[in-house]
Amino acid sequence: MSALANNEGLRASRVCFSYGDRQIIDNITLELKPGTLTALVGPNGAGKSTLLHLLQGRLQRDSGHVECNSSITVMPQRASIDWTFPITVNEMVRLGGRNHSHQPGGLLAKQLLRRVGMERLAHRRLSDLSGGQQQRVLLARALMQQTGVILLDEPCSAIDPPTREHLLSVMREQADAGQTLLISSHDWGSALDSYDKVLVLDTKLLADGTPSEVREKLSDMTCMMGSHCCG
Amino acid sequence: MDETQLWWLLPLILSLLIGVICPATGSLLITQRRILLANLMAHSVLPGLVIALAIGIDPTVGGLISGLLGALVAERLNQRFKGREESSMNTVLAGFTALGVLLVPLLQTRVDLETILFGDLLAASGSDLTRTLVATFALALLLITRYQDLVFIGVDPDGAYAAKRPVTQIRFIAIVITALVIISAITAVGIILVIALLCAPVLMHIEKSTSLKQLIVKSAATGLALTSGGMMLAIAVDLPPGPVIGSLCMVALILKKA
Repeated sequence: MSALANNEGLRASRVCFSYGDRQIIDNITLELKPGTLTALVGPNGAGKSTLLHLLQGRLQRDSGHVECNSSITVMPQRASIDWTFPITVNEMVRLGGRNHSHQPGGLLAKQLLRRVGMERLAHRRLSDLSGGQQQRVLLARALMQQTGVILLDEPCSAIDPPTREHLLSVMREQADAGQTLLISSHDWGSALDSYDKVLVLDTKLLADGTPSEVREKLSDMTCMMGSHCCG
Repeated sequence: MDETQLWWLLPLILSLLIGVICPATGSLLITQRRILLANLMAHSVLPGLVIALAIGIDPTVGGLISGLLGALVAERLNQRFKGREESSMNTVLAGFTALGVLLVPLLQTRVDLETILFGDLLAASGSDLTRTLVATFALALLLITRYQDLVFIGVDPDGAYAAKRPVTQIRFIAIVITALVIISAITAVGIILVIALLCAPVLMHIEKSTSLKQLIVKSAATGLALTSGGMMLAIAVDLPPGPVIGSLCMVALILKKA
């Protein structure tokens, strides 16, 4: 993975974004080091998806800077995909190839499907998959792009715990190989221990540190995270 | 063979071509959830056709401009009425149709409105064939050169934008080609019935197809069978081919096993 050799991670400073009169992202400064797995947590409507799109450049920032020396991939939320489209698992993953107009990377797609546990279903229609299987396919497609930085929008939502563990282990392997991963998540409590670093967002960045540091810092902010904190 | 004995040849060739390109275009439109836009454009070509015939220019040009104008007006209204797009688009559809009907007496154009609305395959001319061949070529070129992008835009439009694919340009080209296909199909099935050929063959195969390519091929083959069958049936029972083809599309969809 040559793109990973020069990966210097991602730095964002004083990023702001508003929609009409509403401030969605307020003065966010963060750093994602190469080879790390970072969780981006916060309540619904905190601006997690918006921040990922601002970092990737899909949305235009009102102000602030983002520095990244490699390409950035975003793994979208499941809801943004048309799962009824006539396409097989294999073809979907290969769409992630950088120059997909020439259909390269058949071997890589096969390897990635094996890693996410979907090799046997490579020729199945996308619409025939369960929610967890769909998340696996989206992860494989994101990895197919082989960029230095991947931003994943709730890759573990609505899936069973074994699938979550499997997907997190694949993401950990990617981080160990030098990739930088930022994962928006509803994880809380001990589930945060799967990550190297945790960012807590609610329009502003409320906390930025290791899982234990963040838990300690936010222990007095009861119910800030809704059911994830209170449960 | 006497030329008068070959009167059926041109309508037959035209119906076969229309039977292929309408479902192929419909495959793109349905998988990209833009079929309502196509129906709107089918109706929006009417004012342009009438004006073109009134001032004596090629009706393709008038219809194309008018169809694109309808799509543009709908796009503007969709931004104003977000979440209510179906309502605003249907209003534009009705508005352009009404405008076209009004223009016929206003411009005192000698237009057979019934032919434009419901088609008249047996009155096909050489220029209809040229028009259809141009649309066929344009569609084939789009499919050959941009197939992967069409798949990407269909399955994950946001991802296609993020991957810096030329989404807006491809969508615009697809709209222009849709307008060309619709104008080509007017002789065969008319602007009211063209939607049946765009939809029915695709709906019959979309659930089982494993790729867009497969869907296009299967739909085109079905479209071919429906138009050729419809035309032969129309000649046999002496009925207008357009409505026969439109009815056949519905019956075939109803009879298709789930």
